[in-house]
Amino acid sequence: MRKWRLAAYGRFMAAAFAANVKSVIEYRVNFLVQTFGMMLNNAAFAAFWAVLIGRTGAVGGYGFQDVMFVWGLVSTAFGLAHILAGNVRQLGRIIMEGSLDVYLLQPKDALLNVLLSKTDVGAWGDLLYGFVVLGLLPGLSLERLALFCALAVPAAVIFASAFAMAESLAFFMGNSQGIAGALSEFLLSFSLYPEGVFGKGLRWVLYSLVPSGFVAFVPLRVFRSMDWPLVPALWGVAIVYAVLARAFFGLGLKRYESGNRMDTRV
Amino acid sequence: MRARLYSVAASTSLRERTMYLGNFTASMLTYGLFVFIFSRVWAGAYAGRSEIAGYTQSMAVWYFIVAEITSFGFGRYFWGLSRDVKSGQVAYQLGRPYDFVAYNYAERVGGSLADAAVILAEGLAVGFLLVGTPPSAGGGLGAEILRGGLLAVSLLLAGSLNFLLHFSISLTAFWLEENDAFYWVYQKLVLVVGTLVPIEFLPDTVAAAALWTPFPYLSWAPARVFVAFSPADALSLIARQLAWVAFAVLLARAVFSLSSRRVALNGG
Repeated sequence: MRKWRLAAYGRFMAAAFAANVKSVIEYRVNFLVQTFGMMLNNAAFAAFWAVLIGRTGAVGGYGFQDVMFVWGLVSTAFGLAHILAGNVRQLGRIIMEGSLDVYLLQPKDALLNVLLSKTDVGAWGDLLYGFVVLGLLPGLSLERLALFCALAVPAAVIFASAFAMAESLAFFMGNSQGIAGALSEFLLSFSLYPEGVFGKGLRWVLYSLVPSGFVAFVPLRVFRSMDWPLVPALWGVAIVYAVLARAFFGLGLKRYESGNRMDTRV
Repeated sequence: MRARLYSVAASTSLRERTMYLGNFTASMLTYGLFVFIFSRVWAGAYAGRSEIAGYTQSMAVWYFIVAEITSFGFGRYFWGLSRDVKSGQVAYQLGRPYDFVAYNYAERVGGSLADAAVILAEGLAVGFLLVGTPPSAGGGLGAEILRGGLLAVSLLLAGSLNFLLHFSISLTAFWLEENDAFYWVYQKLVLVVGTLVPIEFLPDTVAAAALWTPFPYLSWAPARVFVAFSPADALSLIARQLAWVAFAVLLARAVFSLSSRRVALNGG
């Protein structure tokens, strides 16, 4: 029975993804502009790091290749999270406006349903940027590509779960867009800079509340030493964050009040 | 008469902006986060050295604090202007008895003064907490006051230049509906040429070439006025900013003149 439910959710995710891709392809120019823009945004920071590390050598234990790997991995994971769960940054607004009803009335899990029902066009640029960076790093091989993908998927799940938890604060606070935006910004920003510069005082935060450690710092250590045995541990951490996000959303759902809005999903 | 109209537009926009203090929360949090992260990045970069390209660690942190004010305080004109063109809202303003460029400047930059003031105040507070007092202006209280005044002028010119360049880029929507790419390129050049790092950090040839573009005058100029103050250098930087503002005014007017010919207004 459980197996059938998993298969049904697999088909549901594939169908949602296919519908989202179709909507993206409908606006090709917009898609290309957004993709180009996101890649350019990331490249600007590559220029910054090239200049700085060219002047000073390694910063906080990161050389230029380390920085590029982290930017590539975080970019791909962030992109993947927003392609598959494109509604994740809108979740707080949807809750606040009382617009969850349309998802609650459908037979699939409400959180999964609302997250998967939209894609973010610009996220394709982020997704592709990571692979471009990986291609430019020396020593590209099939094994490194496979490891990169194996690290990007749990990082994407952690991104989506952490963002969903931050947005679910809307159940408890009403308008939580400021705090949710800040938490999301913290996660993304801390992930993109060398772990060594933050010192030990912030470490417990960066491996719990703002899990940059699991989306960037540990994956870098794994990639440097091609340490495959640690990969399942990262998948385990990702599952824990996903379960926590689902539980936190469920807890908030008990406080949810409908906005009595007439919504349709097309 | 016109001057009064524009000052009313500016003050109305300013009052509207300060009506809801929650408006500032998101940009204050993001700005504070960036300043904190970059202060840590600079701490890592300066480990074992006292100076990079003439900047101490304290100067580099204060540089970043001031350089980011243009982006956070005077930085979001493109989206509003571009949206007005694409939605046709711009037609409402074109028929009014005022100068389109001047009115938009007064309204949008006027409102931004509140953002810039809040971000500057936050930057000063966060800077004190992270690295202590800023580099001295080098001449007692009089020099500090002079530096404060020239910094305000330099920031206002940087904000004005940013508005005028955003204005020119946003009006390309009259020709190309998908004009975001131009803005992305512009924004990244601003970031790399003088905002994230001082241009003295760039390779010599790149830094020399950058001085012939408007980008350093959006962030490097006010930051330089603050962290490496000398009255002569500050006045020279401000003069160069003024020259770029004059050029940008001509550019904005030329783009507006060309683009407004493409507007067809129908009654209703």
